Amino acid sequence: MLRACRRLFVTLLLILFFAPITHASDKAAQDSEGAPIDVVGKVVDHHELAVPGAYIPLPRIMLVDGEWFFYGSTESAASSDSFAMQNGTLVPAGDAQITLDMSITSHLMYVWFGLILTVWLTISMARRYKKGVGRKTEPQGWFQNLFEIVFIFVRDDIAKTNIPDNKYTKFVPYLFTVFVGITFMNLFGLLPWGATATADITVTAVLAAFTFVITQWNGSKDHWEHVFWFPGVPGWMRIILTPIEIIGLFTKPFALAVRLFANMLSGKIMIICILGLIFIFADLFGNIAGVGMSLFAVPLTVALYVLKAFVGILQAYIFTLLSAVFIGMAAEEHGHEEEVGAHA
Amino acid sequence: MGLLAAGIGAGIVAVGAGIGIGMIGKSSVESIARQPEASDDIRGAMILTAALIEGVALIGAIVCILLALGIGGG
Repeated sequence: MLRACRRLFVTLLLILFFAPITHASDKAAQDSEGAPIDVVGKVVDHHELAVPGAYIPLPRIMLVDGEWFFYGSTESAASSDSFAMQNGTLVPAGDAQITLDMSITSHLMYVWFGLILTVWLTISMARRYKKGVGRKTEPQGWFQNLFEIVFIFVRDDIAKTNIPDNKYTKFVPYLFTVFVGITFMNLFGLLPWGATATADITVTAVLAAFTFVITQWNGSKDHWEHVFWFPGVPGWMRIILTPIEIIGLFTKPFALAVRLFANMLSGKIMIICILGLIFIFADLFGNIAGVGMSLFAVPLTVALYVLKAFVGILQAYIFTLLSAVFIGMAAEEHGHEEEVGAHA
Repeated sequence: MGLLAAGIGAGIVAVGAGIGIGMIGKSSVESIARQPEASDDIRGAMILTAALIEGVALIGAIVCILLALGIGGG
């Protein structure tokens, strides 16, 4: 009985495997662009905000040859006579080029949502502490307790351990904002219809640029000395070392941006691909194979979701930690007695 | 050709990152076993170095994605 069941199962699997392949191959020949799921379209920026059941068009703001154009949506821009649609993108009429595209996009909206949540959180908590709740008494409620845990974590474990003691208080607000903001932006991507703003290189590049500016602005004399005139090495070595150090200034924020971007993007692509396997199987082998695949793909996606929630918080932590490390490295002042010994 | 390069490149990136993070994990577990009271400091240093390696690996992975999607003239 068992053996018969097994044989039947194997035969079914073989049929499922081989019969539709030939069918799929001549079907694929018929329509060349028959990709059942559009992976890239799910992760790129859009000019509309997806909400349950609808798409809200977002305004287009463009500078074309020194003239500003404002439109409520992509459709109204396309229907006006100075713009036209071409292959799904908006191009100016004639042979003009878009100089600057300042359009509000979905990723920008989600950056704003994250920042608004951060600002609301911190201001409401600051009001509470001003009133004395948490200073004169214990923190009230789970929310304030959670806030305090996160804040103390950022202050003590991230800022204090990496930035010199007399300077770290100045950077705690920035580090806390970055930590909470990036966490919100990462986790927004897990909501239905949501988009991960940090899966966009421009968003992470701007965040890394903030860290870069703050790092250089607060660089001590020793930091710049190390960049331009490395102490304790033979003179001709500085010809090699100075360019390397100058490049090093820029690779740090670059790596910071790419790390966050690639982590978020890869998590998103992974989820879409594994869920997309259902549709790929249904497309290739028929609906039954799609249903069978969903038994495997949906639990895996649930596990990946949990992993992605964890990775979202971990990457926010790593971004904040590395920002603190870079700021601390630049702000550090070396004592004179260690200078010769440390770098000889 | 771009797809082949992307596949081989992604494999090499995974090998490199795997060796690097594996060595970090090995040595940090060893040092935690040797000195359990220092495990918090060791964990922090472990995450930091793993993040640095991960950054390089992900730059490679992004190049492979760009190759596979044929973006950037590939």
